[in-house]
Amino acid sequence: MIRLQIPSHADYIDIVRVCLYGIASKLSFSYEDIEDMKVAVSEACTNAVLHGRPAEEGFSLIDISFQPTEAGITIIVKNDGPPFEHHDSETDEISPPLQGIEISELPVGGLGLYLMEALMDEVTVQSNENGTEVILTKYVSQ
Amino acid sequence: MKSQQFQIDQKETRDSYMISLGGELDLSVVPQLRTALEPVMDRTDLNLVLNLRELKYIDSTGIGIIVSILKYRDGINAPFSVTEIPPSIQRLFDLTGISGYLSEGTEK
Repeated sequence: MIRLQIPSHADYIDIVRVCLYGIASKLSFSYEDIEDMKVAVSEACTNAVLHGRPAEEGFSLIDISFQPTEAGITIIVKNDGPPFEHHDSETDEISPPLQGIEISELPVGGLGLYLMEALMDEVTVQSNENGTEVILTKYVSQ
Repeated sequence: MKSQQFQIDQKETRDSYMISLGGELDLSVVPQLRTALEPVMDRTDLNLVLNLRELKYIDSTGIGIIVSILKYRDGINAPFSVTEIPPSIQRLFDLTGISGYLSEGTEK
């Protein structure tokens, strides 16, 4: 297992992508699969940054672990901030893909979890009082 | 990784204002992009064009900004279009469904 810890700040999300790229390349994932995983993992980190402890209270940390398996890889993104709702309440009734909605009614947020689910094979989100854990799994295509 | 750094180029012509994005658009560069957009968002006399030819990466943060530009420009009845979308980014636009709105755009 490979572990990475970053401050809960947007400036470090690209480091997670670089790290993921290196690990996934060694596991012989295709270019497209790696691009998909980069987006999914960034979405999980973006959520962690947005919902983690604010700067005034001292930045929290985000733990990312990459676990290669026989079939692919499992990536766990964990933050110690307060639990967050998986869906923004405003966008609960609108689920992507967006179609047949008036432009003025389009949701600006709430696409992150949808993209993770669309781009990975398995997505689990676990929240409790200690924080939130997003577990992302992708299998190497045959 | 220098080549992946986010870049914004802006060019105004007689009837359009083109903002070209390059590199990686994620949460860390949102303030930069908002600053670039601010002076032109209300320009109803110009077609606001977002050129994505050199963009290497986007996620829901960037897609959210594009949706917010689309909504704002539509609200003030001003033209907005997104051009030269790379295939990997087009795929995310298709997955989220925003491509349908971009092709219609708000071109008058």
